[in-house]
Amino acid sequence: MIVRIQRGKGERFDDYDIEVNAGMTLLELLFRIQENIDQTLAFRYSCRGAICGSCAILANRRPVLACKTTLSRVTNLKIDDHVTLPSSAKLPDGGILLEPIPKLPVIRDLVVDWEPFFNEYRKLEPVLKNSDHPEKEHLLGKDKSRELEKYTNCILCALCWSACPVVSEVDGYPGPAALAKLFRFYLDPREPKSTKRLSVADNEAGWWACDFYSNCKKVCPKGVPPNVAIGRARKLLEDEEVEK
Amino acid sequence: MGEKDIYRHDVIVIGGGLSGLRAAIEACDCGADVAVVSKVYPLRSHSVAAQGGINAALGNSPEAKNDTWEKHAFDTIRGSVYLADQDAVEVLCRQAPETVLELEHWGTVFSRDHEGKIAQRPFGGADVPRTCYAADRTGHNLMNTLFEQASYRGITFHNEYFVTSLVVDEEICRGCIALNLRSGKVHAFNSSSLILATGGYGMIYDHSTNSLINTGDGMALAINAGAQLKDMEFVQFHPTTLYGSNILISEGARGEGAYLVNSEGDRFMARYAPQSMELAPRDIVARSIMKEIKAGRGFKDGYVHLDLRHLGADIIKERLPGIRQIAMDFAGLDPVEVPIPVQPGQHYSMGGIDVNIDGETGVKGLYAVGECACISVHGANRLGGNSLLDTLVFGRRTGRKACSESNDGHVPILKEVMTREIQRLQDLINNKGEGFAPLMSEIKKTMFDRFGIFRDEADMNEGLRSLNDLGQRYKQVSVKGSGKAFNQSLIRVLELGYMVDTAEAVALSAIERKESRGSHFRTDFPDRSDDLYLKHTIISTDDKLQRSIDFSPVKLGLFPVKGDNYQ
Ligand SMILES: Cc1cc2nc3c(=O)[nH]c(=O)nc-3n(C[C@H](O)[C@H](O)[C@H](O)COP(=O)(O)OP(=O)(O)OC[C@H]3O[C@@H](n4cnc5c(N)ncnc54)[C@H](O)[C@@H]3O)c2cc1C
Ligand code: SF4
Ligand code: FES
Repeated sequence: MIVRIQRGKGERFDDYDIEVNAGMTLLELLFRIQENIDQTLAFRYSCRGAICGSCAILANRRPVLACKTTLSRVTNLKIDDHVTLPSSAKLPDGGILLEPIPKLPVIRDLVVDWEPFFNEYRKLEPVLKNSDHPEKEHLLGKDKSRELEKYTNCILCALCWSACPVVSEVDGYPGPAALAKLFRFYLDPREPKSTKRLSVADNEAGWWACDFYSNCKKVCPKGVPPNVAIGRARKLLEDEEVEK
Repeated sequence: MGEKDIYRHDVIVIGGGLSGLRAAIEACDCGADVAVVSKVYPLRSHSVAAQGGINAALGNSPEAKNDTWEKHAFDTIRGSVYLADQDAVEVLCRQAPETVLELEHWGTVFSRDHEGKIAQRPFGGADVPRTCYAADRTGHNLMNTLFEQASYRGITFHNEYFVTSLVVDEEICRGCIALNLRSGKVHAFNSSSLILATGGYGMIYDHSTNSLINTGDGMALAINAGAQLKDMEFVQFHPTTLYGSNILISEGARGEGAYLVNSEGDRFMARYAPQSMELAPRDIVARSIMKEIKAGRGFKDGYVHLDLRHLGADIIKERLPGIRQIAMDFAGLDPVEVPIPVQPGQHYSMGGIDVNIDGETGVKGLYAVGECACISVHGANRLGGNSLLDTLVFGRRTGRKACSESNDGHVPILKEVMTREIQRLQDLINNKGEGFAPLMSEIKKTMFDRFGIFRDEADMNEGLRSLNDLGQRYKQVSVKGSGKAFNQSLIRVLELGYMVDTAEAVALSAIERKESRGSHFRTDFPDRSDDLYLKHTIISTDDKLQRSIDFSPVKLGLFPVKGDNYQ
C-alpha cells in the first residue's frame, strides 16, 4: 500500500510503499515506516491506548487518533461518518494520506505546535476554585459525578480544535475543548456559584461564537460533547439562570 | 518562554507524571521557584493510563467499616513478601486517606457510592474494598487535577525537553542538561535540588502495558551519576493484558468479579489460590496463567479468557467503561457479549533509584520519587492501587524536602560541561553503524525470554551475555535522522542507551538473588529464603564505571515476618 506523508513544515510529501495488514493501527504503521524505511520521520506518541492525547493526525483528511484508528477504518470510512477537512494534497490511489492536524503551526512532519491550543485552555483557568476543605470528601450524587464524567473524559488531544471551522474564523475563540472544560467547572457543585464561570466566556468570541457545526462532538475520540456544553451555557446565560 | 542557554530554578523536577507534579506543587507551596522539565507534555505522561484506582483506608464500603491504616499496611507488607521497608509503608498507609481527600478537594471526580461518598472496590491482595477510583480512568482524572493545580500556581513547565545527563560536581548534583526537542538546542538546567520523577522502564520488555515513552531514563541517569539502584530484579507482570497489543485490562475487572477461564472452561485459579481465586496477588495470578498455557490449557497463541459477561451490561458500562472501550477499540469485541483474550505482560517496576522516605538519594541535591524510585514500599510485589498512592504521598514529601534543602544557592554549571555534552550528542549523530530498531527489539526479547515470569541461572547468564553484546553494538548505533527540530531518531537512540543500562541492572540483580520471592521466580531456586535474602539488592557504579552489587538490610518493626499464606 502507498502511504503518503506530509514532511518537514509542509514543503513536500513522501510516498512509502509498505506492506500492511488491515487490522494494524496508524500508529503501528508509522512505527513500521520509522523503524524499517525512514528513521527521519517524526510523529508524537505515548500511551498507544487512546488516553494520553498525543497522536492526533489527519488520515485521508479525517482528524483521528493514530493509535486507535486501524487502516481498514480509514479506508472504509464513509464521507458522512466523519468530518473531512480540506487539504491540497492528493490521496494516493487505494492508499493513505497522512498529514498533521490543521490550525496549529507545524514543527516537523506530523508534529504540530500545541501552544495556541493550550494557551486558550489556560486562559479559562481550569481549576476547581473552592475554599472549603471539609474533613471528609464532599458528597456528590452518582448522577452528578456521571454528568461531570462526560466532560472530565477529555484528553486534550486537540482533534476538536482542528476540526472546528470557528477556530480559524474567530480570533481568540477558546475552542471546543476549553469551553467544555469551563462548563465542567461550572457544573461542579463543589465550586461556589460566585465564581461566575460562565461569564468568563460570555462574549462574541466565546460561547456566542459557536455556529454549531458540531464537528467537535463528531471527531471526539472520548465521546465528549463540547457542542452540548456550549448550547447549555448559552441557554443558561440567556435565561439569566446564572449569576453573571 | 525565552530561549536561554541556562535556566535556573531552586527546585527542578524531571518528569510531569503524578509524582513529578505532586512534588512540584509541594515545593512551590513551600516557597521554592520550581520548574518541571519533561520529555512530553505533562498530560501525555504514562500516569494518565492508570486505570483501576488508588488505595486508602477510608472505610466507606460497608464491608470495610473497620478498615484502618494498619490493615492496609499489613496487606502491603504481606504482598511485598516482607521486602518492603516497614517505616516507609507506615508513612504510605497512614497518609493515604488525607492524600485521596486532598485530591478530591482539588477537583478529582471520584466515583461515588449511593450515599455520595467516594466508592471503593476490592483489589488483589487486600482484605476489604479499599481502592478508590474514578471509573477505570483513575490516572487520567488524578493527572488532570494535578496539572490544573500546578498550572494555576504558575509553576514553570519546560515541555518537550529531553534530559540527556545529570550534572554532578564534587558529589553534589547541580542540575541537568536537556535537549529542547522543538529547536534541537542543548540547555543547562541549574538547580539546588533536582528531583527525578521519570517513571518506569516497560519498554525494555516485550509485552509491556507501559506507555511507549517509558524507557527507564531516570534510573540510567541516576546510576551513571553516582546514585544507586535497589531491588531491580523485581519486575511486576500483570496477569491480564489484552492479547496482541498488551494494553492493560485493569485488575478492577477482577475486583468487580470477572472470571479467569482456560480453554477447557475451568476457573483455573481454583487450582492455585482456592480462597482468593482471581484476586490473589498479581505474581501468583500471572504465574498461574502461564502454567495453564504451558500445560496446553490456553487458547491457540497463548492466552486465556477474562470473562465479564455474568456481571451484566449495567455494571460493565457503569464501572468498567474504559475496559469495554479498550476491548472494542483494540480487539474489536464487546465484553458484554464475549470474553476478553488476555495474557500476562510486564507492568511495573518495584525496584528503582535507592531513596529514603524523603526521596533523598546518596548524591546530595538529587532526589527521586514515583516509579523510578525505590523507597521501598512495594518490596517484591506491588499491590494494585498502591503505586498511584506512592506517587502522591512521596511526591509531597520529596517536594517538601527538596524545597527545604534548596536554600544554599546555585553553583553554576560550567560552560565546558555543556560543551562536552553537545560534543557527545554530535558524536552520536556522526555514528555510522546500524539503526536503533533491531537493538531495541533484541533487548525486549532478551528481557522477556530470559528475565521474565520464570527465571533460571543458565537462561539469565545467556541473557546477560546478549545484553553485554548489545551494549557494545550500541556504541556504534547511528542516528540517521536529520535536522534539528524534533529529531526523533536521536531521541530514540538516547532512549535506547537508557534501556541498555536499565536492562543490565535488572539482569545483574536477578542473577544475584538465588531465591524466589514475589515477582522474582526462579525455577532453580523455587523457595523463598529469608535467611539468605531478606535484604535489598543494591547496584552501584565504581571508579572504573563498572557496576557492582551489594545488599542492604530491610527495615522491619511493624509486623513480624511470616511464611507465605495466600490461598
Ligand atoms: C496501564 C497501567 C495501569 C496502571 N494502573 C494503576 C492503578 O490503577 N493504580 C495504581 O496504583 N497504579 C497503576 N499503575 C502504575 C502507575 O500508573 C505508575 O506507576 C505511575 O503512574 C508512575 O507515575 P510517575 O509519576 O512515577 O511516572 P510517569 O507518569 O511515567 O511520568 C514520567 C515522566 O517523566 C518524564 N521523563 C522521563 N524521561 C525523561 C527524560 N529523559 N527527560 C525529561 N523527562 C523525562 C516523562 O515525560 C513523564 O512526564 C498502572 C500502570 C500501567 C502501566
Ligand atoms: S473534547 Fe474530545 S476531541 Fe476535543 S480535545 Fe477533548 S478529547 Fe480531544
Ligand atoms: S498515543 Fe496516546 S492517545 Fe494515541
